[in-house]
Amino acid sequence: MEGFIKKNTELISECSNKYRVVKLLGSGGQGEVYEVGLLSAEGEITSLFALKWYFKNNATEAQMSILENLISRGSPADVFLWPLELVHDSRFTSTGDFGYIMPLRPNNFKGIVDLMKCRVSPTFVALSRTAFNLTLGYEKLHGMGLAYNDISFGNLFFNPENGAALICDNDNVTAGGRVSVNGTPRFMAPEIVRGEAQPSRNTDLFSLAVLLFYLFMVHHPLEGALEAKIKALDIYAMEKLYGRKPVFIFDPDNESNRPVKGYHDNAIIYWDIFPKRIKDLFIESFTVGIEHPERRVTERRWLDAIINLLFGVVKCSCKSEVFYDDDLAADGVGTTCWNCGKEIPPVTKIVIGKSRALLMKDTKLYRHHIAGNFELTEAVASVTQNPNNPNQWGLRNESGAEWTYIGVDGSRTPVAVGKSALIAKGAKIDFGEQVGEI
Amino acid sequence: MSETKEFKRPGGELSNRPLHFIWVVDCSGSMHGEKIGKVNHAIQSTIPEMADAARNNPYAELLIRTLKFSSGAQWVTPEPVNVDNFCWSDLEAGGVTDMGNAFDLISSQLTIPPMSDRALPPVLVLISDGQPTDDYKTALDKLLALPWGKKSVRIAISIGQDADVSILNEFTGNRDLVLQANNSADLVKMIKWASTAAAVVSAPATPDSTTVAGGAGGSNSSPIIFDINNIPVPEESDPDDINVW
Ligand SMILES: Nc1ncnc2c1ncn2[C@@H]1O[C@H](COP(=O)(O)OP(=O)(O)O)[C@@H](O)[C@H]1O
Ligand SMILES: [Zn+2]
Repeated sequence: MEGFIKKNTELISECSNKYRVVKLLGSGGQGEVYEVGLLSAEGEITSLFALKWYFKNNATEAQMSILENLISRGSPADVFLWPLELVHDSRFTSTGDFGYIMPLRPNNFKGIVDLMKCRVSPTFVALSRTAFNLTLGYEKLHGMGLAYNDISFGNLFFNPENGAALICDNDNVTAGGRVSVNGTPRFMAPEIVRGEAQPSRNTDLFSLAVLLFYLFMVHHPLEGALEAKIKALDIYAMEKLYGRKPVFIFDPDNESNRPVKGYHDNAIIYWDIFPKRIKDLFIESFTVGIEHPERRVTERRWLDAIINLLFGVVKCSCKSEVFYDDDLAADGVGTTCWNCGKEIPPVTKIVIGKSRALLMKDTKLYRHHIAGNFELTEAVASVTQNPNNPNQWGLRNESGAEWTYIGVDGSRTPVAVGKSALIAKGAKIDFGEQVGEI
Repeated sequence: MSETKEFKRPGGELSNRPLHFIWVVDCSGSMHGEKIGKVNHAIQSTIPEMADAARNNPYAELLIRTLKFSSGAQWVTPEPVNVDNFCWSDLEAGGVTDMGNAFDLISSQLTIPPMSDRALPPVLVLISDGQPTDDYKTALDKLLALPWGKKSVRIAISIGQDADVSILNEFTGNRDLVLQANNSADLVKMIKWASTAAAVVSAPATPDSTTVAGGAGGSNSSPIIFDINNIPVPEESDPDDINVW
C-alpha cells in the first residue's frame, strides 16, 4: 500500500534535518504514518523514525501550535513516542502540508488489543510492569501540566516479554484550553459521555483506571448485569452504561451490576486473583471516582499499589504466579493458589515505607524501595545466600552508601557496600532515607 | 522467553458481541456486465481491510453475509460467516429488481431467533442502480418495524443516475447515508467507507456538530453517529460521463 507521499521522497525538517520516506506504516483518523530514515550528509540513512503526515482537514493551525508547544517542552518520559520536530512541505498541499517526526515503535511491541484477544500471554509480572510504566508515564505528563485526553487501547503498545510500554498519538496532548478530541468510547469519563465536560487531567485519571482494569481483568469495570440485559448495544445503551447510570460491577454497596457468568467470566476469574490493596483502588475509582472527578485515584497511589504487585508475586509449586495478599495475611489468612488451590508457604518480606517486597531467591530491590521515587531500574540490593552457611540468606548492599543493620536484639552493625545483612524476622535495616523492617 | 511459554493465563478473550454485516446487492439486468463486475471487485478488495479492522476491534465479532436480488432474492452466504473466513463470490446480473423480496429475507433473519437477543446493531449496506419492480414498501415497513430492523444501521450506495434516490432515502432514513457513486473510483471509496460502519457501530462517538445520525429517525433509533467530514462525496465528473461505466 502506498500513501500520499511516495517511497524515497526526501523531506527537510524545521531543524534542517533530511529524511527519506522508507514506507507507509498505516493510516488513521487524522493522517498517515510513514517510516522515514534520517540522512547523513552523504545521503545515507543513519537511523529510523516515524513521520506522521496530517490529512488536509486535520492539518490545522491549532494542531500545528499544539505540536510546536509539545516539541519545545520535550518528552515527559521515555515511554512517549513524543513529537521531535515539524516537517513542512508544500509539495503535498493536496493532502495536508505538514507533519511531525517521532521515534519509531520497534516491532516487538504489541497492542493492548492483542492482550484482549489472547494473542499474547504476558506473565503477571510483565503485565504489572506494563501497568507501572504506563502509569508512571501519565504521571510525568500530568506533572508537566499537560493532559493526554484520549487514553485508550489504540495508542498504547507493550512488550509482553518484559512489560516495556510505549505511548503514541501524543498530538492531542494539551495544556488546558480547547481539546479537539472527546476521547474513546468505553474509556471516556462519565461526565464527558454525558456531554458535561471536556477531557482534562481528571478525566485522564478515569480513563487510566479503566485501562488498568482492562489490563488486569481483561474486562470493562462497568459491564455487568446491566450490560447483559441490553439487547442492542447501541449508542443510547452505551450512554446509559458508561455515562448516565454507571455502576461498578464490584461496588460493595450496590449489587445491581455484578458480572454475569457466561458473559463476564474474565471479571469473575481475575478479580479473585488480585490482592485487596489494588482491588480497593478499583472500588474507589469506580464508586467515589465516578461522581467526583477531583477525588479520583492519583497515579502515585496506583504506582504504590502496582509496585506491591510487582514485588509480591510468588511462584506456586504448580508454576502459577500468585499475588501475595498482605491484607489476608494481617488477618491470619494464607494466600492460596488460584490454579491448584494449594496454600502458599509462609514468605519472608521487608516493609519499607509504603512498599513491601517479598524476599526470595532472586529478589532485587530498587532505588524506589529506599527513596520512594518510583525508580525501578537501578538495583540497590539483592538477596544472597551465605556461602559459608547455605541456610542463611542475606540482603547485599549494592546501593553505593552504607546501611545500618538493626538486629532483633537492637544491636546496630554497619553494612558496607558489597556486604550482606542477615534476613531474620524482626530485624531492621536503616537504608539512610528509610528504615525497612523484615 | 521460557517464562511466557510455560505460563497459562487463567481467563479468556475480552467478551464481545456479534455484529451482523449484510451486503445487499442489486443484481438486476441493468447491473449486467461492467457494473456488477465493478461491484464484485470493490467489495472483494474491501474484505481484507474489514478483516484487518476486525482484528483490532476487541468489542465485536464481525459476521458477514451477502444477499442478492433480481427476479426474487437469495442469500449468497446462507449463514453468517466470520470476516476471517468470508470469501466474496462473484455475483452475476440478470432479471428484474425485486427489492421487496430482499427486505423480506432480511426481516426473516433479523427476527429472534435466528438473530441472537444480544448483539451490536446490525449493518445493512444496499447497493442498487434502479427502481424496485415489486412491492418494496410493505416489505421495508415490516423490516423497519422489527426491533433489530429499527436498530440496524443502513447505508445505501446508488450506482449511476437511475436509482430511485427517494426509495434509498426511505431505506436509510437519512439522506446523508445515501451515497452516490458516479464512477468506479467513487464506488470503491464508498464501499470502503460503508465497510467502516462496522467499527463505528462497536465504538460509537458521542454526537456533536460535525456528526450525523444513521438509522430511521424517530424515538429509539439512530444507533450510530457518523463523522460528516468522512462521508465520501462523488467525484466531480463531466455530466456526459455520468453514466459511463
Ligand atoms: N511512532 C510510530 N511507529 C510505528 N508505527 C506508528 C507510529 N505511530 C503510529 N504508527 C502506526 O501508524 C498507523 C496510524 O496511526 P495514527 O495516525 O496514530 O492513527 P490515528 O490518526 O487514528 O490517531 C497505526 O497503524 C499506528 O500503529
Ligand atoms: Zn498452584
